[in-house]
Amino acid sequence: MAAKNSNAPEEKGFFTRKPKLSKLARREEKLALKLLLPALIIITLIAFYPLAQVFYTSFTDRVFASGQETSFVGFDNYRRLLSMNITELEPLIDEVSGELLLDPDTGQQLYERPIDKLPREPVRYRELNQFNLFGKRYVLGATDPNFIDAVKNTVGFTVISVLLELILGLAIALVVNSKFAFRGAMRAAMLVPWAVITVVSARMWEWMLAPSRVGMFNSFLDWLGLVDSPVAFLAAGGYQLPALIAVDVWKTTPFMALLLLAGLQTMPEDIFEAAEIDGAGKIRQFFAITLPLLKPAMVVALIFRTLDALRVFDIFQVMLGSSTYSMASYNYFQLIGNRNMGLASAIGVIIFIFIFIFALSYMKMMGVDEE
Amino acid sequence: MKKRTSFFSLIKKAGFYMVILVILVYLLFPFYWAVNSSLKTEAQLFMTPATAVPRDPATLEFAPTLQNYATVLQDNQFLRGLVNSTVVATATTALALVAGSFAAFALGKLRFRGRKPALYLILAMTMFPQVTVLAGLYAVISALGLSARVSMIFSYMIFTLPFTTWVLTSFFKGLPDALMESAQVDGATPFQTFHRILLPLTAPALVTTGLLAFIAAWNEYLFALTFTSIDPTARTVPVAIAYFTGAVARQEPFGEIMAAACLVTVPLVVLVLIFQRRIVAGLTAGAVKG
Repeated sequence: MAAKNSNAPEEKGFFTRKPKLSKLARREEKLALKLLLPALIIITLIAFYPLAQVFYTSFTDRVFASGQETSFVGFDNYRRLLSMNITELEPLIDEVSGELLLDPDTGQQLYERPIDKLPREPVRYRELNQFNLFGKRYVLGATDPNFIDAVKNTVGFTVISVLLELILGLAIALVVNSKFAFRGAMRAAMLVPWAVITVVSARMWEWMLAPSRVGMFNSFLDWLGLVDSPVAFLAAGGYQLPALIAVDVWKTTPFMALLLLAGLQTMPEDIFEAAEIDGAGKIRQFFAITLPLLKPAMVVALIFRTLDALRVFDIFQVMLGSSTYSMASYNYFQLIGNRNMGLASAIGVIIFIFIFIFALSYMKMMGVDEE
Repeated sequence: MKKRTSFFSLIKKAGFYMVILVILVYLLFPFYWAVNSSLKTEAQLFMTPATAVPRDPATLEFAPTLQNYATVLQDNQFLRGLVNSTVVATATTALALVAGSFAAFALGKLRFRGRKPALYLILAMTMFPQVTVLAGLYAVISALGLSARVSMIFSYMIFTLPFTTWVLTSFFKGLPDALMESAQVDGATPFQTFHRILLPLTAPALVTTGLLAFIAAWNEYLFALTFTSIDPTARTVPVAIAYFTGAVARQEPFGEIMAAACLVTVPLVVLVLIFQRRIVAGLTAGAVKG
C-alpha cells in the first residue's frame, strides 16, 4: 500500500515530463531541419538526378552520346565485370608414349590451354592467372580481367598510399604543432604539394620520372652510380604502382597533415598540463591523450583520403595511359573509348560500394559516431 | 651538470630543426624542380643529364630564361583564367562553408531523427567518380540554364559540401555540451549559441576546411573543361593551361606549363600565409572550462 502510494507521484511526474521533453526535442528537431535545408536543397538540385541516373543506367545497355535505343539488361553489366571462374587443367599427355608432357626448355609439366577449358557462354572468360593446389593445376578466369586487375591495383594503391599519408601526415602535423621560429612559413610551405594543379603535377612527375637522363631521377641515380642504364619507372612492370604511390603520397600528405593539425589545435591545453603534473611522459601523453582525442579528425581525414584514392584518375590516366588501369580510369576508358555507358555506370556503382564499405569500417573500427 | 643539460637541449633542438629541414626538402623539392624547369628553354629541358639549375648546353654556365613566363603572362586566356578561378573557387568555398557549417551544427550538436541517414546521404553525394556523374550533371545544368561560371560553382558542391560538412561535424561534436547548455541558461537561442559561441571556437577547422576546399575547387579540371566548352571566356586556370599550344604544332610547351603552374601556386601560398594564423588562433585562453 505504502509502496503504491510512493509510486503514484513518480508515475504522474513521468507522464507530465514527457510532453515537455518532446516539445523541447521537437524544437530542436525543427531547428536541425532548418539548418540542414541549404545542404539538402543543393543535394536535391545538383546531385540527386546524376546519382540516380548512374544507378539506373548501370542496369541498361545505354551507349554514350548516341540516339540508339537502350533497353533494360538487369545485372548483365555487373556480371560482365565481376564474373570469375576456377577450372581445373588436366596435364598434357604424350599421345604416343602415354607419358606426361614436359616443357622442353624448363622441364616443367605442361597443361591444357586455359582458353580451351574456360567457359565461353554467355560471355567468354579469359585467364587471370594459374595456380597449383594439392598437386592439381587450376586456372582463374574472369570475364573482364582488365577490371579485376584495375580493382586489385586501386585497392592496393589506396591501402598503401593512405597508410603512408596517415603516418607522414601525423608526423608533420605533430612537428608543426610545436612552437618554433618560422612556424607560419612552414605551414604555408607544407601546403605547396596540395596546391600544385593536379593535372600539371602528374605531368611534372612524368617528366621527373622520364625513362632517360632527361628525367631528374635517372640523372640522380646515374650520378650516384647506382644504375647502369636508365630505369623505366612508368613502363609496365614492378615500378609502376610504387611510383604512383610516391606521387600520390607527396601530393596529398599536406591534406592529411592540415586536417590532423586542426584536430591538434582544438585540443584543450589543460589536459596536457594535468598529465605533465601527474608525471606522464611525452610518449605516454601521445598514446593516452593525443591519439584518442585525435580520432574523430583522423576518421574524417581517412574517409576523404580513401574516397579520393579509390576514385584515383588523373595520375593513372596521365602517367600510365592505357597500360595499367585504376577503377576510375578503366571507367573512363569504357565510357569515352568504348562508349559503353551502361558498363561504365556499373563500374561507378562498384566504386561507390567500395567507398561505402571503407567509410563504414573506419567508423566502426575507430568507434566514432557511437551515440 | 647544468652545462650538460644545455648541451643536450642544444642537440635536441638541432635534431628538431633537422627533421623540419628533411620535411621541407621532401615537400618542396618537386616544386623546386618545376621552378627549375620553368626557367629552361626547350633545348635546356632536353639536356642529359638533367641539370639542377638552367645551364647553357654548350658552356654549362648558369643561364636561366624568363621567356616562358613572358609567354604565359601575355596569354589573355591564362590571365582571364586567373580571374575566373578566383571567382569560382571563392564562391564555391563560401557556399560550401555556410551550408556545411549549418548542416554540421545540426549533425554534430542537435538530436533529431534521421541524423545518421542525413550524414551518409551527404557523403554519398561524392562517392561516384567524376566521370560517371558528368553526363547526368550536364543534363541538370542545361535544364537549369545556368551560365558556365555558376554551373561550375554548383557542380563543385558535389565534392566540397560533403567535405566541409563532415569535417565540421566532427569538430562540433568535439566541443563540450556544457558550452551549449550554459549558453542556453544565459538565454541564448540555439542559433545564437551556434554562431556566437561554437563557430568562433571551430575557427581552426573552418579555416582548414576552407583552404582545402578552395584549393580543391581551384584545381578542378574535368567539370571545368566540360562546362566551359560552350563559353571559352569562363575557362579556369587548369583548363587554360591544358589549352596551351607549343610553337611547333603538337609539341607540348612543357616549360610554359611549368611557368604557369608556378605562377598559379604563388597566390595560393600567399593565401595560406594570410590565413594560417587563424589555424592556431582558434582556441585562445581557456574558452572551454568545466
